[in-house]
Amino acid sequence: MRCVEYGKSGLSAGKYKGKMKDMTKDILTGAESRRRNGSGDALGPNSEIGRKLKQYYDALVSDDVPDRFSQLLSQLEQAEPAQKKD
Amino acid sequence: MAAVSQGFKTDLLGAIPSLRAFAVSLTQNADKADDLVQETLVKAWDKHESFQPGTNLKAWLFTILRNEFYSQMRKRGREVQDSDGIMTARLAVHPAQHGQLDLKDFRGALEQLPEDQREAIILIGASGFSYEEAAEICGCAVGTIKSRVSRARTRLQEILKISGEDEYGPDAISAQVTSSPAS
Repeated sequence: MRCVEYGKSGLSAGKYKGKMKDMTKDILTGAESRRRNGSGDALGPNSEIGRKLKQYYDALVSDDVPDRFSQLLSQLEQAEPAQKKD
Repeated sequence: MAAVSQGFKTDLLGAIPSLRAFAVSLTQNADKADDLVQETLVKAWDKHESFQPGTNLKAWLFTILRNEFYSQMRKRGREVQDSDGIMTARLAVHPAQHGQLDLKDFRGALEQLPEDQREAIILIGASGFSYEEAAEICGCAVGTIKSRVSRARTRLQEILKISGEDEYGPDAISAQVTSSPAS
């Protein structure tokens, strides 16, 4: 069962359910995952670029989310029933 | 049009931090990034029915955000990214000492990359997407993503004067261990 291998890239196997291209993936997965984990694609924890990249990105991800976004989603939700057509 | 489920809304909320990070990476501008995220959320809401539950929502949202970013760029005509020139001039290029390098320098170097290379290295090296997912998000071939990531990395190393990183990767054995199937 190849599909279990998908789990290790940090993405749950479930997310791949129903994905096409599984056959291509099947072929690629072995070499692909080795390359990804092997050299960490030269972007892994042993790479200065890789570390900085994550540091840069993690800082952005952990930035506080402004209220405007949850307000926006609430507005969209309130507008929703009116849009129902069928 | 089916109603948007509560779960979908919750998932959208949960994806916002990642969307903002990706948006800043693309635009290099916090205000533009948040506008982009807002557009993305509205679009995602409108076309929620085209999202297949069980597939990767984050990848789906990143695709929308990216498309929005490039269509806005096309509409405006390419704005002169004035920050680029300033950053390039200001960027103090000095060798990384003991593997340490300033995050500000890194950000400056990242800004100098062409968009396609920057997004590729962010998707792969920071957002945690596979090459296949990144290729889908960018609407291009896996090989294209690989070469963009590779060029981005080389370019960053040049700008930041880092060399010889390749030798420090995990050895073949640990690579085998980490790539063995997770039960």
